[in-house]
Amino acid sequence: MTSPSLGVEIGSLKLRNPLLAASGTCGYGVEIAHIVDLKTLGGIVTKGLYMAARDGCDVPRIVETPAGLLNAIGLQGVGIRAFVESVLPRLREHDTAVIVNVCGETVEEYAEVARIASEAPGVHALEINISCPNVKTGGIAFGTDPIMTHEVVAAVRKASALPVIPKLSPNVTDITVLARACEEAGADAISCVNTFLGLAIDVETRKPRLAFGTGGLSGPAIRPLAVRMTWQAARAVKIPIIGIGGIASASDALEFFIAGAAAVQVGTMNFSRPNICAEIESGIVDYLTRHELGSIRDLVGTIKYPR
Amino acid sequence: MTATPPPSPVDRECRLRERVYLGGAYALLTFEHAEIARAQPGQFAMIQPLVSPDLILRRPFSIMDTDPATDRFTIFLKAVGPGSAAVFRMEEGEKARVLGPLGRGFTPPASGESVFLVGGGYGVAPFALFSRSLRDASIDFRLFYGGRNARELPLISELERRRIPLTLSTDDGTRGEKGRVTLPLQAALSAAGRQARLYACGPEAMMHAVSRIAAERGVPCEVSLDPWMGCGVGTCLGCVVKIQDEGEERPKNRPACTEGPVFDSRRVVWPQEKHS
Repeated sequence: MTSPSLGVEIGSLKLRNPLLAASGTCGYGVEIAHIVDLKTLGGIVTKGLYMAARDGCDVPRIVETPAGLLNAIGLQGVGIRAFVESVLPRLREHDTAVIVNVCGETVEEYAEVARIASEAPGVHALEINISCPNVKTGGIAFGTDPIMTHEVVAAVRKASALPVIPKLSPNVTDITVLARACEEAGADAISCVNTFLGLAIDVETRKPRLAFGTGGLSGPAIRPLAVRMTWQAARAVKIPIIGIGGIASASDALEFFIAGAAAVQVGTMNFSRPNICAEIESGIVDYLTRHELGSIRDLVGTIKYPR
Repeated sequence: MTATPPPSPVDRECRLRERVYLGGAYALLTFEHAEIARAQPGQFAMIQPLVSPDLILRRPFSIMDTDPATDRFTIFLKAVGPGSAAVFRMEEGEKARVLGPLGRGFTPPASGESVFLVGGGYGVAPFALFSRSLRDASIDFRLFYGGRNARELPLISELERRRIPLTLSTDDGTRGEKGRVTLPLQAALSAAGRQARLYACGPEAMMHAVSRIAAERGVPCEVSLDPWMGCGVGTCLGCVVKIQDEGEERPKNRPACTEGPVFDSRRVVWPQEKHS
């Protein structure tokens, strides 16, 4: 029997396997190229990029919680022009798909960042960050309101011919409303989901353990929440869903595919196990072989849910 | 004094070969890892036991000593939270995920300089390895090792075994001179003149005090910063420190894991100064 196929297509974005490194967990790719063979990844999603460079939040920025990581980094980054001019040429040397995470404080800024990223050779798709909980303007403010979500996604759609992939916030009552807004605005796929808004308190000082106050929770602690939201979003729209949330093993990733994800992103676990995607890939191949499935595509949305 | 460049970091599963309990929450752990066994003084490793359910991040540990002949390196460990406690509890033969050597270590001194190492409590660890390279380069040096009390100087016998010239001090006088480590340091610096070079690793307040002494005396000083660190390779951006270079209007957040952990003390904007 031939090895099962792991290739997937997200709009016009072709991935050699459905495993992406999530935004904010792999820098701009070049930082980890000496410890991770980037061609073992389907692609990398860059740290969020605005027009200007940003210095981010004060420390403490991260705190570990049970099976999770609470962070408020605040989208520290070099800005889109510096990325295109001095980082992208080095990243292009690696054989992996490059997805730029697009940020903005205004709709116009999102569109301008998207335009600049799209004109740069070697960028394969855009992920629209409408869900960062750790900035005072932009981010989650756009992603929790379906009208603003529609406006941002439509503006980016107009500014770019690349696949457009809004990244949804889980901090909403009904994620299907936001998913449908993205689809109607012309999104090619949806990343589901960003971090959950959380708060950890130092009981001795009675202050938040993060300098910013609240933060975004990621890691295995959020996985069942993210699988549920992926399942809901996949039933609500026809465009592909990229599942994200606490994936730490092949089995975890398979849950997202069965729930309806066409691809997945691995985030927090990259910090402690930078080569985890290679392990997950081999586990998925074993599973598909054992279940006599010719392709990962045959597994997507096959959940047996008695209703 | 020149240093050969350290090996590129490698992520390996490697075994704990030796564990020496030092009392309290302190231990020495020796792992087998060929690249880290060739680390430079001041570099660190990220470590997590292979079996550590529910722990997400590895923890950073400065490299206390290396033995290239046996591919081994040793960390000096204080169990303070769940991550370091999981490493502390490891048994000989058990495996850990270990990434290193990481970071930028101490800049070697010039020949003819007198080196003053200042270690506070747990922060003394990297000076064991550094002492060896200083001795190999025939550099004159002394280690000022201070803590709150005698129990917080658990590495004394290890340092004495290496014949490292030591000046001990404790806040309560239970070992060495009574008072802050900066008191005997000041006295020794006055005797040494301007050819001195300082290196400090320990609590932030201590490193800040040592950097002020260096500035007042116009001698070079490096500090090894220890912010909360997530990944060790510059991607999580959790461990940023405020660094301000000459000609820069404002300090910038820079990752301590890749640009440090060792910094020229003149570049460091200490927390108390942030809002002034």
